[in-house]
Amino acid sequence: MKPFELAGQALAYLVLLLVTFFICFPLIWALSTSLKLPKDVMASPPTLIPREVTLANYRNLIVGKEQYFHGAGKDYVPSTAAPQHFTSWFANSVVVSLGSTLISLVISTLAAYSITRFRYWGRRIIPYFSLLGYMIPSIILVFPMFLVMAEFHLTDSLWSLTFGYVSITLPFCMWLLWAFFRGIPIELEEAAMIDGASRLRVFVDIVLPSALPGIIAAGIFSLIVSWNDYLFARVFINSIEQLPLTVGVMHFFEGVHVDWGLMMASAVLMTLPMALLFMLMQKHLVAGFGAGAVKG
Amino acid sequence: MSGNADWKVADRRIGILFIIPFALAALVFMVYPVAEAVRLAFYEHNPLHPETSHFIGLENFRTIYDDPLFWKSFQQATVWTACSIVLQTVIGVALALLLHLPLRGISIFRGLLLFPYIVPTVVIALILQWMLNAEIGVVNWSLKSAGLIDENIYWLATPNMAMISTILLNVWKYTPFVTICVLARLQTIPLELYDAAKVDGAGAVRRFIDITLPQLAEVLTVVVIFRTIWTFNKFEEIYLLTKGGPGTSTFNLAIYSFEQSVASLKMGVGAATGVVMMFLLFTGSLIYMRVFKFAEEETA
Repeated sequence: MKPFELAGQALAYLVLLLVTFFICFPLIWALSTSLKLPKDVMASPPTLIPREVTLANYRNLIVGKEQYFHGAGKDYVPSTAAPQHFTSWFANSVVVSLGSTLISLVISTLAAYSITRFRYWGRRIIPYFSLLGYMIPSIILVFPMFLVMAEFHLTDSLWSLTFGYVSITLPFCMWLLWAFFRGIPIELEEAAMIDGASRLRVFVDIVLPSALPGIIAAGIFSLIVSWNDYLFARVFINSIEQLPLTVGVMHFFEGVHVDWGLMMASAVLMTLPMALLFMLMQKHLVAGFGAGAVKG
Repeated sequence: MSGNADWKVADRRIGILFIIPFALAALVFMVYPVAEAVRLAFYEHNPLHPETSHFIGLENFRTIYDDPLFWKSFQQATVWTACSIVLQTVIGVALALLLHLPLRGISIFRGLLLFPYIVPTVVIALILQWMLNAEIGVVNWSLKSAGLIDENIYWLATPNMAMISTILLNVWKYTPFVTICVLARLQTIPLELYDAAKVDGAGAVRRFIDITLPQLAEVLTVVVIFRTIWTFNKFEEIYLLTKGGPGTSTFNLAIYSFEQSVASLKMGVGAATGVVMMFLLFTGSLIYMRVFKFAEEETA
């Protein structure tokens, strides 16, 4: 029995390592490519550990040197040197992700409190309405939203993206926070109000702190969704300097040759903020999964 | 504090006040776009000449009905969805069972599972384009050195392989979702059930079929319905890897709708496709709510 169990355990670990490999390899390979010299990127056989480590790709993205184009031959003049915009794209992504998350969180926190603590007509359908809302794919929302934005002369601005992302993140923040607020025992609030605390006091001092894990989970998912979006930005934004990262880096494919080292460096940098968030907030993420807040 | 009646009125006002931002936002960002999408489906609308927009009845629906590409996209979306869901479910459940084992360090593996979910689709699509590059990609190189293939596989340039590559991306990114949902459910199955079965002499396979599977039935139904709805309507997972190509061999309805609206400037036709997608989605959701008698649950 004993050796049999041991073999079983060894097999289990083997499979787990294999799975880990499949999950991690693409990112590891991207990191490896991004640190290679141009000649080593194309080298055959490819090596996992770069023969010589260089940060040139990262420097080109961040400092935005035109030396990136030297590899393509002296005559080649790009219409827009896409890598020069990398830092502004990054900033744009940060601004719209934070902006839409903040808006969605404030609105859905207030609403979730309202529908779980007050009685009025229609409050019961709100969660289900939100659930339906977050089932609707972006491809259906994006063109009507574009027309609305055009109406308000907001297209090609970060505002249009911020509002666009609210249409995706608000429904699931609402759904998650409703589930969360429902689970917060009401007795504490009642006790505080009997003691003479006002509704607002109770909301700020008692409800918000107990709802914090749910709010954080909703916030993380909202950040991930807005950071990862491609479609809205693709449709809403025209000027190259207003793009977020996701659409911006796709411009690296234009031109005669693809610089895979640069491409992989941008892939790594684009993943980095979410990976950090992921490491810091893993527990909350799992809580969010539990409440069914995952859009994907 | 003033009198009790005053307090109650003020109290109720706060409740209404708190829901107003949501009501407004839902109207502007959720209800209006959907209503507008439905309206557009009955209009001819060229985004470059919005002033020429006019009502044309069911013409857009007739256009997509007569368009072989629409049906091809529909069929490909079905194949794509079916393959992705079957793979995700089978691998996802197997992984969940594995992660449910009482092994040392298992929580590290559990945490790692969430990782693909946070990786932007753009990123994994870029990386896969690089890894699957026919001439210099690491995948072909590895397969060749292992002696598994002689000729380079054109992963993204031949119709069947392009379909397989997009399924691969989808499975990579969303299998963890299935695993996490199933794992959460596994952890709530009472151990006594297994002990009793062991006493009765049931083997591991028997226990899995008689105890684990029935307990998982509900969560699996939810996950499969949700994943089917979302997978069927995916845009970025395909578009960013193959742009729907080569040719139109990886088109699904979302890409068809996008191309109609953006490349052909027929927003009405794109919107009509969207309406068809919404119809399918609501049907799926209704099945979901039927299965779980959603409304009753709320009283709990």
